[in-house]
Amino acid sequence: MRTDFPDEGQLVASLVAGDRKAFEMLYRRLNAPMVRMCMGLIRNRATAEEVVQDTWVAVLRSIGGFEGRSSLSGWIFAILVNKARTRAQRDGRTISFDGDGDDDSLSAAFDGRGRWKNMPDLWDEMTAERIIAGRSVMEHVNAAIDALPAAQRSVLILRSQQGMEATEVARVLEISEGNVRVLLHRARLAVRKALDALA
Amino acid sequence: MMSCKEVAEKANAMVDGEVSAWEAMQLKVHLAMCKGCGRFVDQIRTTDELTAAAALDDMMSEADDGRINAILAELNQARHQGG
Ligand SMILES: [Zn+2]
Repeated sequence: MRTDFPDEGQLVASLVAGDRKAFEMLYRRLNAPMVRMCMGLIRNRATAEEVVQDTWVAVLRSIGGFEGRSSLSGWIFAILVNKARTRAQRDGRTISFDGDGDDDSLSAAFDGRGRWKNMPDLWDEMTAERIIAGRSVMEHVNAAIDALPAAQRSVLILRSQQGMEATEVARVLEISEGNVRVLLHRARLAVRKALDALA
Repeated sequence: MMSCKEVAEKANAMVDGEVSAWEAMQLKVHLAMCKGCGRFVDQIRTTDELTAAAALDDMMSEADDGRINAILAELNQARHQGG
């Protein structure tokens, strides 16, 4: 789902006016990815859900001050990151998005001359609807995302699922664009590896 | 000529349209001759599509009136406290 809202200005105006339907729509679109991202930062489901709920309250309280300098979802995720940081600090931890995870999962795939040791598989039946080992491929993908280190997970959610540009992801997470690219690369390779195990 | 390893390292940037014209040409030349890399790039593309689709799957299952009510109640409370 590459979001951005077709008419963000209208949506913001409805939110400012306290329109419940508008909020429900926004909530449906963003709550699950917010919880998924926050779980990576907080590592406790109940606390993560609490932080996301606090974020929503903060979003609705300050929506009147949203100036559209970033996308609405970029603004919301930035608030989420701040809330998560504050919460982690209170619990004596810090959150950092700088390069986590070790080398990518590909290093062993090549011989000394940089050629494939084994030909990559053809994924001709890897579709979203397919059920493998009792779960849909999408559930497998979500499980793979949940297994990623926090920074990779956050980048994948913002970039591939929310469709944000690398620049905006960098701003939300307060890391460099180069770092966003490295993290996205690693995250995709990790999800690819999980899918390849099903192929 | 690029090695398969180099192509694999560039595959994400290529899928995102973030390679230079020169790199794009080198990749094209390699991919025209190498079945393995062609498959790998397809895998990366599929991975990205399925990752995007997984968010949609999440969205469909999310319809939580209880939580929405709790957020709105908390919002009202915060407003009344005038903070
Ligand atoms: Zn090759």
